[in-house]
Amino acid sequence: MSTPQDTPPMGRHHAPESPTAAGPRAGNGTGTALVRLINAGKRYGAVIALQDITMEVSAGEVTCVLGDNGAGKSTLIKIIAGLHQPSSGVYEVDGEPVSFNSPREALDHGIATVYQDLAVVPLMPVWRNFFLGNEIKKGPRIDIPAMKTMCKDELLAMGIDLRDVDQPIGTLSGGERQCVAISRAVHFGAKVLILDEPTAALGVKQSGVVLKYIIQARERGLGVVFITHNPHHAYPVGDRFLLLNRGTSIGYFEKSQITRDELTGLMAGGAELEQLSHELEGAGGAAAEIGAVLGEEVAELGIADRPAPAAAPATESDAR
Amino acid sequence: MAQTAQAPVAPPPRADERLGRKSPVARMLARPEAGAIAGAIVIYIFFFIIAPPFRNASSFSSVLYVTSTYGLMATPVALLMIGGEFDLSAGVAVTSSALTASLFMYEFTTVAWVGVLVALAVSLFIGFLNGWIVIKTGIPSFLVTLGTFFMLQGLNIALTQTITNQVSSPDISTLQGFSSSRVVFSGSFTVGGVNIRTSVLYWIVFVIIATWILLRTHIGNWIFAVGGHAPSARAVGVPVGRMKIGLFMAVGFMAWFTGMHTLFLFNTIQAGQGIGNEFVYIIAAVVGGCLLTGGYGSAVGAGIGALIFGMVNQGIVYAGWNPDWFQFFVGLLLLGAILLNTYIRRRAEAAI
Amino acid sequence: MRRSRSRAIGIALFMIISLVLAACSATGGKRAADAAANGGGGVVAGHANTKHFTVAMITHAAAGDTFWDIIRHGAIAAAAKDNITLKYSSSDDPTKQAQLITDAINSHVDGLAVTDPNPGALCPTIQKAKQAGIPVVMFNAGYTNWQTCGGMEYFGQDEMIAGVAAGKRLAAAGKKNVLCVLQAQGQAQLEARCAGVKQGLGSEGTMSKLYVNGTDSSAVLSSMTADLTRAKSTDAVITLGAQFALIAIQAISQTHSTAKLYTFDTSAAEIAKIKSGAVQWAVDQQPYLQGYLSVDSLWLYLVNGDTIGGGQTVLTGPSFVDSTNVAQVGKFAAAGNR
Repeated sequence: MSTPQDTPPMGRHHAPESPTAAGPRAGNGTGTALVRLINAGKRYGAVIALQDITMEVSAGEVTCVLGDNGAGKSTLIKIIAGLHQPSSGVYEVDGEPVSFNSPREALDHGIATVYQDLAVVPLMPVWRNFFLGNEIKKGPRIDIPAMKTMCKDELLAMGIDLRDVDQPIGTLSGGERQCVAISRAVHFGAKVLILDEPTAALGVKQSGVVLKYIIQARERGLGVVFITHNPHHAYPVGDRFLLLNRGTSIGYFEKSQITRDELTGLMAGGAELEQLSHELEGAGGAAAEIGAVLGEEVAELGIADRPAPAAAPATESDAR
Repeated sequence: MAQTAQAPVAPPPRADERLGRKSPVARMLARPEAGAIAGAIVIYIFFFIIAPPFRNASSFSSVLYVTSTYGLMATPVALLMIGGEFDLSAGVAVTSSALTASLFMYEFTTVAWVGVLVALAVSLFIGFLNGWIVIKTGIPSFLVTLGTFFMLQGLNIALTQTITNQVSSPDISTLQGFSSSRVVFSGSFTVGGVNIRTSVLYWIVFVIIATWILLRTHIGNWIFAVGGHAPSARAVGVPVGRMKIGLFMAVGFMAWFTGMHTLFLFNTIQAGQGIGNEFVYIIAAVVGGCLLTGGYGSAVGAGIGALIFGMVNQGIVYAGWNPDWFQFFVGLLLLGAILLNTYIRRRAEAAI
Repeated sequence: MRRSRSRAIGIALFMIISLVLAACSATGGKRAADAAANGGGGVVAGHANTKHFTVAMITHAAAGDTFWDIIRHGAIAAAAKDNITLKYSSSDDPTKQAQLITDAINSHVDGLAVTDPNPGALCPTIQKAKQAGIPVVMFNAGYTNWQTCGGMEYFGQDEMIAGVAAGKRLAAAGKKNVLCVLQAQGQAQLEARCAGVKQGLGSEGTMSKLYVNGTDSSAVLSSMTADLTRAKSTDAVITLGAQFALIAIQAISQTHSTAKLYTFDTSAAEIAKIKSGAVQWAVDQQPYLQGYLSVDSLWLYLVNGDTIGGGQTVLTGPSFVDSTNVAQVGKFAAAGNR
């Protein structure tokens, strides 16, 4: 694996605002966060998809967003990626409040999202995918040799040695495809990478490869928002952890504040028990009583904050 | 159709770290049009052997001519299919364009070229409308263009009937500018005693342009992307809607060109013409390696597909087979060409 | 790229406008046609003071066929004269045509004029009209069984007889190898014409058939070209529709064939070609007459109980349009009535 400093970023299309190794390492909280959400929420009509979310990611940091299906992770991504605007709260980039109307605007601010489908076109060659939407032009034509070389080099810099960048990207393994998508985002000047469940569909080995690239990206000074439902993937690479359940934050920790087991417990038990207690309380009568007891137990165990409105800001200030 | 692009043709199976085996031949076989070329060669040899008139140059020039009338349209139709959409109105759009031109120039007694330009505007507009409806409504283009197919078919007849009180356009050959238009759109020249129509040259030129756009420009990259997986293309900033509308307009443009060719060759146009040709265009594109699901194919392939269709159509007549069986043989040979095509492509994919 | 395209459209529009203002054609076009026509256009035959009727005419015409235009012109002329509202509809698909006839029965029209190219499919439906008390006149197609279908009268030509007449005339002209071009496959009428030609030729010559795709002029041209190249001995080409004769002219000249050209049916453009000698003659079944008589006979029946033909077929053809009578026919053809 080559060190990132060997290869200066080559994004000539978005002159990158130097996302190199200058950023602070690991979540020590100094300097302005690249991306910060303060009490952000999102409603779709009467449906509350997300409320009171506070989180941030700084250069050279990985913030993990954990949660089960339907926890609000994808809504969160859509807000950060510029697909949706938050209906409440503040979205700051580099300390400035922003309001994005399209993913393109987010991209122009250096915020790149790698979706689960990776935004790659399976039947197209790797290099065409790499430069899709950012083709290098030579007059009216595209500069194919330059793009092939650059693609190969850039992938090598991320430690991916492809035998042939001309092969359809669909023929790569899931992990390799993730890596191509990540290195593409890095190449085109991303300062913040949002990775949507990059390990979800992968086996153990492939997941390891992807986690390695997340660390690489961090070492290159990028801020990474790593969305996953797997605490075992999140804990080794993460600097901060945001736990979501049913659209609300059930905890926001720095790595020093939480152990892997606690994180796992929160993910596995906390969310589930929490939900169960909610349901029981909602049912009324005896069930409600049991639900309340259950809820207390959960709180005592310290594996989940009750979604009281005050809880989230408190954790946020803790985190700083 | 674009949304399921990930599933359809399973990408060639992986075979890690076995670089050296990929010869230039294997590379060529992996091209979308490889199977079609093989099919074309087989059909050529087949008719060369069984149909003596097929062997002389002037006959082949006539094969090329009929090929060009399909191939001109098959080219943009292939681009559109690579871009993930269909145009079922392509066949009647040719007639619409020719009718527009002839009725305009005749009714207003203008120089022929005026009608030609009006038809160009109308054809581009029809293409724009197809694309715009598809993009705005999200209804599959198969359905949208099926609608416009019927509408154009009806308009062709109703407007012609209303304006001329007949169902064919009036003879425009006495108008000023007719002969120059004819030279441009429907001319012919003689090389070594063989008469060749200019439409054949136009066809080849348009195939080259389309191929260049597809493989050597960013537009081509985007065409593959919007057809291969539109959400991905959108995510990296490709203007998916504009690309698709542009492709529909390219079909409109070529419908105009083909329409002008037909008009100036025959002087009048029957309002009911062109129905059914949309499938010939799509068949040519598919035989030539375009995926029905989009994102894969080539303009050269569509050209070869049109050539196969042209050779089969003419070859059967040259061979003098019982005409009652004509359609059957057309279908049989096309099916054979497609099977060979598929077989070759599978082999090529396995060899990668 | 979009911007440059819209600019191109803009330029095109500008050019169109300036050309419209500046460059009208000095020759041809509607202006010349209007100047030549000097008032000889549509046929008007007065207006009857009889009760108003509604007549449905339902044919098997494929959309956009010149021949059927002429039939319709005749029907319209009769309807205008007879104080009749004409409802014309057509489909070349027997099932749809049957449906159209059913629709007409259900809307209680006063009379029905139908063609029957496909006796098996349409007879039952036509009989229903008769049962419903609607008088039915048949024309153009259905020569063999119009009586059993419940038709009151029949106006048309026997395609077989027409074909035989054409074949005999070809034989008399010494033609040995005749090519019969069919624009559609599996249409009884067209097949009957070719079969008739063959019978008419008898032992004098041979006939071969060529099917072409009638909805694609380029394909028609190419197929004819191919066949003329293959069979160099072809000395006569006979097409089964006027517009195909016009294409055949090109095919013959392209292949430097010595074959002469003949055709069934007429149109204004084709009659001009008979005048110029490019087409030798056309078998004319007088489609205008078929349309006109169908409507007019219904009127006669409705107002006076008259029937024409005494239970026999009223033949409107075949007659021939050739160099001897083309000048006379040509006068009417320009108005789209021959």
